[in-house]
Parts: sequence; C-alpha cells; structure tokens
Amino acid sequence: MALLELDGVSKAFGSLKAVDGVSFKVEAGEIFGIAGPNGSGKSTLFNVITGIPFGPDRGTVRFDGTEIQGWRGHRIARLGLARTFQRETSFDGLTVFENALMGSSFGAASQPAAAAREAAAEALEFVGLGAENFGRPAGELSVFQRKCLMLATAIAMKPRMLLLDEPASSLTKPEIDSSIELIRRTAARGITILLIEHVLTFLMSLSQHLLVLNQGTVLALGEPRAVISDARVVEAYLGTRRAAA
Amino acid sequence: MSAAELTDAQDRRAPAGAAPVGPGRLPWRREAVAMLVGFAVLALLPFVFTDSYSRHVLIMVFIYAVVASNWDLSLGYGGVFNFGHIALFGIGVYAYSLLTKLAGMDPWIAMAAGGVSAVVAAVAVTIPILRLKGIYIILVTFGFAQLVMQVIISQSEYTGGTQGLVRIPTLYVFDHNMVRDAKFAYFYIALGLLVLSTVFLRAFVRSRAGISIVALRDNEEYAVSRGISLVRQRLITLAASAFFTGVAGAFYAAYQRNASVEVFGMSLATIILSMVLLGGTGTIYGAIIAAFVLTVFSEAMADFGAWRPMITAVLILVVMLAYPGGIFGMLKSATGVFSRRWSPPS
Repeated sequence: MALLELDGVSKAFGSLKAVDGVSFKVEAGEIFGIAGPNGSGKSTLFNVITGIPFGPDRGTVRFDGTEIQGWRGHRIARLGLARTFQRETSFDGLTVFENALMGSSFGAASQPAAAAREAAAEALEFVGLGAENFGRPAGELSVFQRKCLMLATAIAMKPRMLLLDEPASSLTKPEIDSSIELIRRTAARGITILLIEHVLTFLMSLSQHLLVLNQGTVLALGEPRAVISDARVVEAYLGTRRAAA
Repeated sequence: MSAAELTDAQDRRAPAGAAPVGPGRLPWRREAVAMLVGFAVLALLPFVFTDSYSRHVLIMVFIYAVVASNWDLSLGYGGVFNFGHIALFGIGVYAYSLLTKLAGMDPWIAMAAGGVSAVVAAVAVTIPILRLKGIYIILVTFGFAQLVMQVIISQSEYTGGTQGLVRIPTLYVFDHNMVRDAKFAYFYIALGLLVLSTVFLRAFVRSRAGISIVALRDNEEYAVSRGISLVRQRLITLAASAFFTGVAGAFYAAYQRNASVEVFGMSLATIILSMVLLGGTGTIYGAIIAAFVLTVFSEAMADFGAWRPMITAVLILVVMLAYPGGIFGMLKSATGVFSRRWSPPS
C-alpha cells in the first residue's frame, strides 16, 4: 500500500482552479519529486495535503490508509506528515534549540521532556547546527542555517513523511549541494520524501519518481528521465518552437 | 541527567544534550535564587514602612503587579490582544463579593472561587476569538468586558448596580485583628499572592507549553505544522493568565471591602496596560517592576494634581522611545546580568 495517496484532489480560489483533480501515489521510502512552472499549484498542493492552512475542496488524501482531508493541521502533523515552507521560517523569539524542541515535543513522537530534549539536540546535530548554535536566537541565523533549522524541527518530530517546499530557493550553489546531500541523508533515516522544486537538476539528482504540474493538473508522471523528455513538459517550461520563433 | 548537572552544564555553555536557556534567559536555578532574594527584600519592607499608608501603597503595587504580569502572559508571550483582561479582575471582585456577602461562603474559599470564575470566563471568551486575529480580537474581548459590566449593572438587586457593594466580608487569619495592625497581615497576604502568581507564571513560560505559545505568536502556520494545536494552546494561555488575575480581584474586594463597576473602566485598564508595556513585554518581571515604579511615582506626585497623569504619560513615552524593551530592557542593558547571550568560544 502506498504511504500517501491522492485521489482527485482539487482546490479553487474563486474561479481559479489552483489544483484540479490531482491523483498520485507515493511509496514508503522513496523520494518523490514535484516540478512545475511558477503558479502551477505546487505549493497549494502541499497546503491541501497538510491542511496548513486549508484542506482540499474535493478529493481524498490518504496517509498510510487514513483519510486525512479536512483534518486540522496539527493532527495531520502528529500523524507523521511533516512539512517545510518555501520561505525560510523560524520562531524568531526562541532559541535554535527551543525551535527544535517544539518539533520533538508536539510532533508525531510527542515525547516526555528528557526524550524531547535529546531528540531536538540529535536533529540539530544531524543538520549541522551543533551545540555552539543551540542558545542562539533563531532570528540571527543565515538563510541557509534557517532552512537547516526548519528541516531539523521537522526531523525532531520523527515523521514518517516529509514534504519539502523548494528547499533550494534563495541558496547559493555550494549550499544547494549541501542541501542535496542533507536530503539524501534524511531519506536514509527511513523518512519518505515528497519534494517540490523548480530547479530541475535538483529534482533529477534526487527523485525516483517525478510529477510535473501545470496549471493545477498533472502534466506528466513517471521515471524522471522519461518525464523531462516528454514534449508536453518541454513545452510547459520553454514554450513551443512555433511560439518562440 | 539530574537537574543540578543540567544547570552546571548550562553554566559551562551547554554541551550537546543539555537544554540551553534562551537568549537573555537565566538558568532556572540562578533565576530561583534571584527571585528568592527579590521577594525576601519585599518581605522586609513592612519593618521599614510601619505606617498604614505606605503599606497600602505597597499592597496596591502587589495587586497591580499580579494583574499586569498575568496580562503579560497572554499579551506579551501569547501575542493575543486580550483587552478583556481587566474584566477577569472584575469577575474576581464580584465573584468574591457575591459569594461571601450573599452566599455566606468562607472568604478564603471565595478567593479561590474568584480565580476559578475568571478561568471559566477566560475560556468562554477564548472560544469566539480562536479564528480571529489582531484588531478583531481586541473588539471581541473589549466587547466581552463591556458585556460583563452591563450584566453586573443590570442585576442591581444582587450586585448593587452602579452603586456597587459595600461591607463585603474580609479575610481572616486565625484570631488576628486585621484592622488594627496597620495593614501588616494584608501586606503579607498580597505579597504571598504575588509570589505564588510569579512562580506560576515563570514556571509556565519556561515550560514546553509556555515556549509553544511563543512559537504560535511568532508564526502560527509553522507552529501548527509542528503539531502545536492552536485551539488547545490558546485556551491554556488565556486560562493560565486568568486564575491569579481573578484571585487578585477577589483579594482587592476583600481588602477594600467594597466593589464597584469602576474596575471594568478604561481608567484601570489603561494603568495596567501601561505597566505591561512600560515594563517590557514577554518578561513577566518587567510588568511587576513597572507596577512598582508607576504606582510609587504616581503617589509621590500626589501634590501635582491634574499634572500627574500628564507627567506620567510623558515619562512612559520617554522610556519607551529610549528603551523599546521597556524598563526590563533598560535594566538588561544597564547590568548585562540578564543578557548572558551565547557567544561561541573564542
């Protein structure tokens, strides 16, 4: 059985169909990539899966066999479905350690105090934010460190599946390489990963399956190399030869 | 790892596994010692100030400090613009008054009941504001305060309406004469209330539940995505800020021996809000220090008559412009004691 299964999921804002009848399955243990031009509905898709801030208008979202559409966001998170946000996000009024402690205290594991502290410290070390950073206010961190922190707070939750929303955006080339490495290591912990990115090379180097969204609908889905050579995908990204000429 | 080891570890700048304190946050043991010293100094004040007027001023400081510091929990830490906080104080006043005067309840039990009544009211007002933000929360909570006041005015048969209630039964301590001790007993009851409230508030804001309400304030969607329930934490925040506020109201009624709807007015709300803001939000201690500063300052300038509130307002403006972190922020930068920030070993 697939870990995550979407069936006919739709979300409209007025007359704009941001996500329109999207169906796909993510198997446990894989890295599943979602590509698409700006405004193709990638982030909205993450929003409706995680219920943050809203669920879908129609369709079903099954996580490990449980229908979760319409659930409140924190319940979905506690079920083991963690997400990151496109913009680097942190609790600026808290320390780096307290940021991670929130994940380990309220996430899927919901652990007692001592275990939660340990899980928070472990997750921070894992993403490369060592003990020397624990007491720093999160607001002081660099963009890349904040992205790492956001990943650490998600890992501290001990999720089964992680939804990463454009982890490479606003990063430099070496930072992107570190991110790719970090995502590989995260997957190696046994966490299934659903990854949104519009940098195609990033997706190509990580994903086992690739889905391309265009105007809220599934344009192509399958093995990454086959997907990007699909004429319709090329057209969605680059336009047709005729239009270009 | 034992608590002692944990504190030592923090002093050695937190190796992996230890829970480091936040920026500008003292290790809990050091904070407990500082708190103990502070309260011990306060406990000695009646031996310095033997007249009932000075003690009265200090008792009012303690009551204001409890109300203001509890407001700091919902407003400063939780970021919830609860403008009905003073109504929780008023509910404590009237719950105590009605329970002792009409129902003949024991004053001490009625004082606890004042706290419980405020908690129930806080939960009731939290439900409609769960889905609201910012100014709409102000509207609803302000309306709530007005509603409570109107209910009390309309039920004049029991509450005395706009006339208020007089000859409310007061507290007792064995056979001690509460009237002829120059407010000695009231002073220690008020101080005890402030101690309990402060210990509770500081323990709460240092707990994971306390940290989670700051997380919700900083970024609601992100907090929810980490499994924090907005509904549950909002209810906890408001309920936690209500209990000692209600108890303070009950104590105020027992101490003054009368109750009036003035406790719901803008005048008191403005004074307490000035304390929260002047002290520096999100600290608990700031509100307590500001309650002391503003009350004593206001009494000291009694001769200035109508100029008094204007001078106070200018003072608040000057402090807030110079130190946006309020009095607590001013003390921090002056002493450096509270701002032991993490710095990587050089």
